[in-house]
Amino acid sequence: MTRPFILSAAIADPELAVPETAATYLAAADEAGLDLLLFGEAGGRPFDAQVLVAWAAPRSQRVGLVATVPASNAHPFHVARALSAVDFLSGGRTGWSVIPEGAAEGTAEDMVGAARSLWDGWGSDTLILDKASGRYLDASKVKASNYEGPFFKVTGPVNAMRPLLGQPVLVLDDAAPIAIKDADIALVSEATADAGATKSLLKVTLDTKVEDVAALFADGKIEGVHMSLSDPLAELPKLAALFAEQVAANPGGEGDLRARLGLPLASTASNQPDGAKIPEIA
Amino acid sequence: MSKQIHLWAFLQGIGFYPTGWMHERARPEGVFSMDYYSYVARLAEKGRFDAIVFGDQLQSRGAGGRTPERMAMPTLDPMTLLTAMAAVTDHVGLVATISTTFNTPEMLAERFGTMERITGGRAGWNIVTSVHPDTAGNFGLDEMPPKETRYSNAADVVDKACELWAAMDRAGPHLNQGRPVLVQAGQSPAGREFAARTAEAIFCPAPSIEAGIDFRNDMRSRISGVGRNPDGTRVMPGLSCVLGGTEAEARANHKAIMDMASVELAIEYLSESLCCDLTSFDPNAKLPVEAILEKTLLPTADVGRMVTPAGEKGTSLRDFAMNFMLNPRGHNVFIGTPEQMADMMIEWRDAGACDGFTLQPSYMPGGLEDFVEGVIPILQQKGRYRTEYPGTTLRSTLGLPAYERTEA
Repeated sequence: MTRPFILSAAIADPELAVPETAATYLAAADEAGLDLLLFGEAGGRPFDAQVLVAWAAPRSQRVGLVATVPASNAHPFHVARALSAVDFLSGGRTGWSVIPEGAAEGTAEDMVGAARSLWDGWGSDTLILDKASGRYLDASKVKASNYEGPFFKVTGPVNAMRPLLGQPVLVLDDAAPIAIKDADIALVSEATADAGATKSLLKVTLDTKVEDVAALFADGKIEGVHMSLSDPLAELPKLAALFAEQVAANPGGEGDLRARLGLPLASTASNQPDGAKIPEIA
Repeated sequence: MSKQIHLWAFLQGIGFYPTGWMHERARPEGVFSMDYYSYVARLAEKGRFDAIVFGDQLQSRGAGGRTPERMAMPTLDPMTLLTAMAAVTDHVGLVATISTTFNTPEMLAERFGTMERITGGRAGWNIVTSVHPDTAGNFGLDEMPPKETRYSNAADVVDKACELWAAMDRAGPHLNQGRPVLVQAGQSPAGREFAARTAEAIFCPAPSIEAGIDFRNDMRSRISGVGRNPDGTRVMPGLSCVLGGTEAEARANHKAIMDMASVELAIEYLSESLCCDLTSFDPNAKLPVEAILEKTLLPTADVGRMVTPAGEKGTSLRDFAMNFMLNPRGHNVFIGTPEQMADMMIEWRDAGACDGFTLQPSYMPGGLEDFVEGVIPILQQKGRYRTEYPGTTLRSTLGLPAYERTEA
C-alpha cells in the first residue's frame, strides 16, 4: 500500500467564506501540495463548511476538501446528501470531520453511523444509464438503511448516490474526541497506537523540529503532519518548505483521495468494497 | 420602457420529461460531474437568466418500497450543486429549495448565510414545508406533521432565520443582500397566504394565460392585503418547451420525445406520483382504482379525483399511465418556433399573467441550449429582456427593493 507523507492544514478564518479570499487560500493550498484542507476545526467554525467545500470543488485541483461538521447543528440525512454531491463535483476529494460542538455525548458517533448507512444503501454499480433499453439503474442495488441510533432514526434510502470514494475520508481531531475506532485520519497532539484511524497525523507548528517528525514517520508512528493555520497565505508556503524533503521522498499514489493517500474503505464501516462507478455513455 | 421579462432556469435532474434522459442530446452521466454543471451554469449566465433554481425532495423515489429502474435518479443535493455553480459564474442567481419542517432555523440560517456570503449575494431560498409521506421516516417520525402545523412552523422558522441572518450580517463578513431572496411555491389557500406574507418571488404552475392572470391578480391582492407592496414580488409560472426551425419541425421534435416513452417507464412514473406501486398490475387491464385508493400514501380524496373518472370509463392502466406522463398537468408546454415562443412570452407578460417564467427545459442540456440560442436573442432584439446584468446580487437582478438593515 502507498505510504505517502501526508500534509494537512485547517483554516478557521471567517474570511474563508468570502469568495475573493477563499480563492487565494485554495490556490495557496494547491500550490503548497497540501493533501487535506480542513474547513473549520473544533473551536473555530464561523461558517457552514459543507457549503464552502462545494464552492471549493471547482476552485481547487488536488487538495482534499474536508468539511468540519458539528453534531449539534446538522442532520445525517442532509450531511450524507451534501457530501455525496461534493465528492462527485470534486472528483473524489471529499472528507469530513465530525465534532460534537456541544451536542449530547454520542450524537457525533450516531451521525457517523447514520450517514455511513445511507451511503452504503447504494451499491457501487447501481447506475446503468442505458438510453437504448431505458434502464437507468439496477434497483436491486438500492437498499433502505433502516438505521436506528440513540439520536437519529433514518429509514433511507437516501436520494443521493453513493460517493465516488464510497465514503468521504473521515477525520478525527483529538481536540474534540469522538468514540470512532475505524476512521481514516486522526489528528493527534502526540503519536499514539490507539488513535482510532488508519493513519495518524501529528499536529505541528512552524517551530516543530523536522528531525523529530521524520523519526516518527520512519518508525511508522505517524503518516504526516497537520497544522492549524492563522495566516494561511504566509504559513502555507512555509509549511510546504519545512516538510518538502519528506514529501518528495514519500510521494502519494495516483487516483482519488483514498488511492493517493493509501486509505482503503474501512471494512467495518462499509458493506461495499468500492466507490460509485458512473457508466460511460458512447 | 416596455415591461421586462424575468427568467429563471429550473434545472432539476435531466429535464422536464421523464423520457428526457434518453434523448440523444441529453447527458445523464453529466449530472454526476462538475464539467456538466460548469457548462450549464455558464450557459444560463450567457442567457442572462435571473437565477438557476433547483427543487428538492427529502426522500428517494420508491413507491410501495420499490425503487424505479427507468427514472433518472437520484439527483444530487441542490444547495451543493448551486454553490459549486456559483464558483464558476459571476452574476446568475442561485435558488435552493430547503424544507422548514426538517431543518432547524439554526441549521438553515448557517447554511444559507454561508451560501449568501460565498456567492457574493446571489442566494435565494425556495421555502417548502415538505409533503411526501416517505420523508417522515428519514427524520425519525412515523408520519408527516399535518399541513396547518407545517405552515405555522414555516412562518416561525422564516422569522427566526431572518433574525439569525441579521445577526450574521452585523457580525461580518457582511452579507451582500442582507439575507437570501425569499421564494415560495404554495398553491393551496394556506400556501398562498404564506407566500403573500413572505415571498419576494413565487414559482407556480399556470397552464394557460387566463390561469396566469387569475393567479397573479389573486397574489397581488393578497400581498396588498397584508400591507406589502405587490411590485416587490415576482410571479414566475413554469414553462417548458420543444422548439424547431418551423412549426412542423417543432412538432416532430416533440413527437420524438413522446416516442421514447415506454409503458414500463410510464407506470413507474405514475406509481411515484400516486405513492403506490403499480408495476405488478397488468398494464392492459382496467386501471386498478380500488387497489390504488387502498395502497396510496397520499390523501385518498386527492388521488380519487385523479383516478376515479378514468376508472369509470374503463381506461386501461397502460393508457392512463402514458397519458399521465406525456400530458404534463399544470405547466404550460410550448411547441413551436423561437419567434412564436418569444411572442407568446411577451403576450403573457403584457396581459399581466406573469412577471416572467421559470423555464423547465424538456431535456438537458439540449433543451436549454435551444432556448438560449433561439429565444433569448429575439426577446433582446424586441427590447423585452436584458442584455447585461444590472448588478451582482440576485436582488438587483430581480429589480427588488434593497433590503433594509435594522439595528439589533
